[in-house]
Amino acid sequence: MSAGYRQQPGNRSSKRTDGKRVAGKQVFPPPGSGGSRPVMKERDLDFIPESVGGKEPQPAGSHIHDRIRTGTVVGKSLSLVDSNAKVTGQAWYGDDVRLPNETIGKILRSPHHYAKIKSIDTSRVEALPGVISVATGQDAANSFGVLPVTKDEHAMAVEKVRHMGDLVACVCAETEAIAIEALSLFDIEWEVLEPVFDRKMGLEDVDEPIHWRGKYHLSRTNVQKRVFQEFGDRSLVDNPHAASHGKWSMEGVHHGFTEPHAVVAHWDPNGRLQLYTPQQVPHYTHRALSTVLDVPMHQINVIRTFVGGGFGGKSDPFPHEMCAAILSRKSGRPVRITFDREEVYWINRGRHPSDIEVKMTADDVGRISGFDIDALIDGGGFASFGHVTSYYNGVLATAPYELGSFHYTGARVWTNKPASGAMRGHGAVNTRCAVEVGLDEMAEQMAVDPIDLRLANLLPPHSRTITGFRITSNGMREALEEVRDGSKWDEKFRQLPLGKGIGVGCGFFISGSGLPIHWDPNRFPHATVHIQVDMDGGVTVHTGAADIGQGSTTAVAQVVAEVLALPIEMIHVRSHESDTAPVDLGSYSSRVTFMNANAAIRAALEIREQILNAAWDILGYHPNTLVLNDRRIYYKHDPSIGVSYLKALHKAQEDKGSLIASGAYRSPPMGGVHKGAAAGLAPAYSFSAYVAEVDVDVELGLVKCTNVWAAHDCGKALNPLAVKGQIIGSCHMGLGQVLSEKMVYGRTGHLQNANLLEYKIPSVHEMPHVVPIIIESCDPEGPFGAKEAGEGPLLPILPAVVNAVYDAVGVRFRDLPLTPDIVYKGIERKRKSLKLDDCLELPNPRLEHGPMQEVLVARANEHKTRDKARQRTEDTSHYVNGVLFGFDPNIPLEDQVDGWRMATEPDPEQLAELGLAGKAWLKKTQREMGRDD
Amino acid sequence: MTPSAPKTIWSATVNKKSFELLINSNAVLLDVLRDQVGTLGVKRGCDLGTCGCCTVMVDGEPRLSCLCLAGQVSDTAITTVEGLANGAHLAPIQACFAKYGGSQCGFCTPGFLVASQALLDDNPSPTDQEIADAIEGNLCRCTGYQQIIESIQEAAKIHRGEVAHPQPASDPHPDPHPDGPGEPSMPPGHAK
Repeated sequence: MSAGYRQQPGNRSSKRTDGKRVAGKQVFPPPGSGGSRPVMKERDLDFIPESVGGKEPQPAGSHIHDRIRTGTVVGKSLSLVDSNAKVTGQAWYGDDVRLPNETIGKILRSPHHYAKIKSIDTSRVEALPGVISVATGQDAANSFGVLPVTKDEHAMAVEKVRHMGDLVACVCAETEAIAIEALSLFDIEWEVLEPVFDRKMGLEDVDEPIHWRGKYHLSRTNVQKRVFQEFGDRSLVDNPHAASHGKWSMEGVHHGFTEPHAVVAHWDPNGRLQLYTPQQVPHYTHRALSTVLDVPMHQINVIRTFVGGGFGGKSDPFPHEMCAAILSRKSGRPVRITFDREEVYWINRGRHPSDIEVKMTADDVGRISGFDIDALIDGGGFASFGHVTSYYNGVLATAPYELGSFHYTGARVWTNKPASGAMRGHGAVNTRCAVEVGLDEMAEQMAVDPIDLRLANLLPPHSRTITGFRITSNGMREALEEVRDGSKWDEKFRQLPLGKGIGVGCGFFISGSGLPIHWDPNRFPHATVHIQVDMDGGVTVHTGAADIGQGSTTAVAQVVAEVLALPIEMIHVRSHESDTAPVDLGSYSSRVTFMNANAAIRAALEIREQILNAAWDILGYHPNTLVLNDRRIYYKHDPSIGVSYLKALHKAQEDKGSLIASGAYRSPPMGGVHKGAAAGLAPAYSFSAYVAEVDVDVELGLVKCTNVWAAHDCGKALNPLAVKGQIIGSCHMGLGQVLSEKMVYGRTGHLQNANLLEYKIPSVHEMPHVVPIIIESCDPEGPFGAKEAGEGPLLPILPAVVNAVYDAVGVRFRDLPLTPDIVYKGIERKRKSLKLDDCLELPNPRLEHGPMQEVLVARANEHKTRDKARQRTEDTSHYVNGVLFGFDPNIPLEDQVDGWRMATEPDPEQLAELGLAGKAWLKKTQREMGRDD
Repeated sequence: MTPSAPKTIWSATVNKKSFELLINSNAVLLDVLRDQVGTLGVKRGCDLGTCGCCTVMVDGEPRLSCLCLAGQVSDTAITTVEGLANGAHLAPIQACFAKYGGSQCGFCTPGFLVASQALLDDNPSPTDQEIADAIEGNLCRCTGYQQIIESIQEAAKIHRGEVAHPQPASDPHPDPHPDGPGEPSMPPGHAK
């Protein structure tokens, strides 16, 4: 086949010794260099994997996306594509949307914890000059909620208010001053009810449960959800070699984002609602608006503004969004509602206050024979994401360890407090802390190093956890080894003086929830992305990915740039409006980069194919032999034969104009079939290990975290700068929870610190020096191998700090946060029990390795070899949890062992021994009680 | 937001532009800046002086605009985040926050930028501790401060002239579509 016009390649080395060029060969610059004026960057081999001829090391073998890597942007530290808007003050957040002729909305909030509304008289409000419209619960009777199974919220209280600060009515006026004045003119008749604040009381029958679930209601309690799960061989926990038993009490914490909630609603002249809101999950808001307002979804355009921090706190559809829409509908004018900081705490959705009990055992060869977890979590007034949280508290605490058995009972109760919900590390944080501290305690009993205990009990890559989750890539071992080496652990652990300590913790988190909340994943994808390329070669990407500062827009732009080998400046992401964006489920469960970037890659591949086909037309070489580089396509074996991106693009556009492609991501079928199997299921999982160093002022009880080595397995760091930012930021948030942050409810159940002065977020002075360490396990399912990095890194900091405090002073703390009063009391108690005069004489723990240490190190080394072999993606047959205990992975476990259980309801004989939350199983549902109302 | 009050005329220079506005005599500076001057880059985070998002410079000194009555600062020169850049040319502190991860969600960024610009104006060679002292009144929930401190250190290098100041993104730059030197003009007939 003739290759058309072809220049004779030559190079500078083909010079004769006398300096003259070899006859017949002409020297010409490398492709794209443009002679004296470079117009094309060289292909960056450092960012192309070894498997396709580059130099990038590959920890996990070749990967599904390797062949489309162009070395353009993936793996490089880039600033966020929207950062210039942010540093110039031009980024528009919720309250920055100012429409002409706007009115200001304000919300009347409940002064009672729990009360029935007998009547509302708004006549005095309406009479106030300057008031435009008023709305109450009667204006919107339809209920909504983020999960279809628990739609228990209303725009405003319909029948009763469920916590202090619950929405009662709203008003919009010409000015904010008039709106505030109007709030004092509502005449409301209340019937005050007996509130419940104590989560333990939530398990008891009451006259007036906070919500009523009809035949599914559990007796007359305030239990919203109860969970029972039991897996494995429970006989293994008998006669343990080591055991830990801890009862934890954890306070509620809030996301503490800096931007208060705000919303602007406007019904345009065509009768369509334009709703501007800083939302992590605009699609669910879209659905909820449609339900509450009784208009079809296509009549609503949800515009996501810039989001001033989310962390899970802006992921519910919110009642104030409904209020703004209702007021705007009534008034015919735009309505802007902005929260003050106190209202932010009233709407809450922060981490659940929890009582957690963890029992764990290890056998005589240092295997973890059982986890027994009981979690009672305080949901506040509404369900929010709580259905899922109830499961996460148990199921996400199992991996990365291979367990002999797992037993979990959980319950979420309603109380008359602001609703808890999803917060960074959703549901996994509190139990993870309890479990990791338990492992530390068992390691001490066995006289072994806690890191070696962990290394000897890890699940390998491509494994199935005890509850049936499919782990693909797994960088846990490397993460632990990195932090051990980085922190000089072996020189410090149990060797530091009193008051100085070092501790370790691990984490395991989902990278995207495996099931979309609203539909069967087999019938509709998780994420869809549209790409459009017009004549000028600029690429417009339409996505619903909600960037909340984590950089999902940048990630989407990066993967498209990578596939098409274009500079990232040529990729323009449009993600704000539901009118132009295909459906995306939003930024929660660490799904957005994983799923959206996967969808974007698929769309970009279609564009790439069209362009390469056009280049085939021009060059005469099959696309398989063509290479995409910076705005140029050339023949693999002779780079001088090529065509510019623009020419190829124009060729491709000859018949159809703009190139348009759509790509989607659907998670593969996976996981078990038992009740609740979908909770915690994810297409990939992230792993992390932290070592923290603390200084404890033994006399004052003040804990200061000084250094953190933070290793996180994010699969592949698409943007290392952003990943490091996520790791350090997670550290900051977790540190707040473990050392200073708590929502304080006084004796009267009143939230006492609804402001940023008394709700103590770590300032710059409280931050330790964090060494972020990125572990790249290169996930086969992730976009270019990436997994999540936004939530998982939060988990290990809590137990690492608690364990470090133990190392420093020899006291195990199980009440979070570790405020000075708690630490001081603990130290004093220890001093008195040892009959010492001065707490400075306290002995702090020391470690002399016992015989078990050798056993564990030997097994860890053996497993390291096993894991390395399994890291190759070519072998993806699953290692099944239980092999360590002698089971044959090829025969279903229940057929091998009599005692192997998989149960989602307790046996009657178990009822007597259930933990605190497990007591919910002593109650019967209304249906079981024979009442079907 | 304060209750209604008699109106008064307020004058000040905001970002080098002089304003003469009719304001409530008890108006808070933050409200005047956001609602009347139109500098929406000044963010409202807490209204209580606890988060630092609303930091502006008043005659070169960083100040929390939510804790300041507009009347207290009349006839001063106020600089908000919008006034840091020189036209399209980002100030070093802005360029470095963008480049080194000093800004994630971006809501606290204006306050941090103003506070750190005030620091760099005084002291172009701050230590990490001096930086921490300068931004201790600003809360950031995303970054954990570490990359903010790095960004400020990088900006300080530009202030000291050790590193070149990056050019504006809107500067003219060459055609992004190279026709490479070896661009073959293909004779017809070589299609697939």
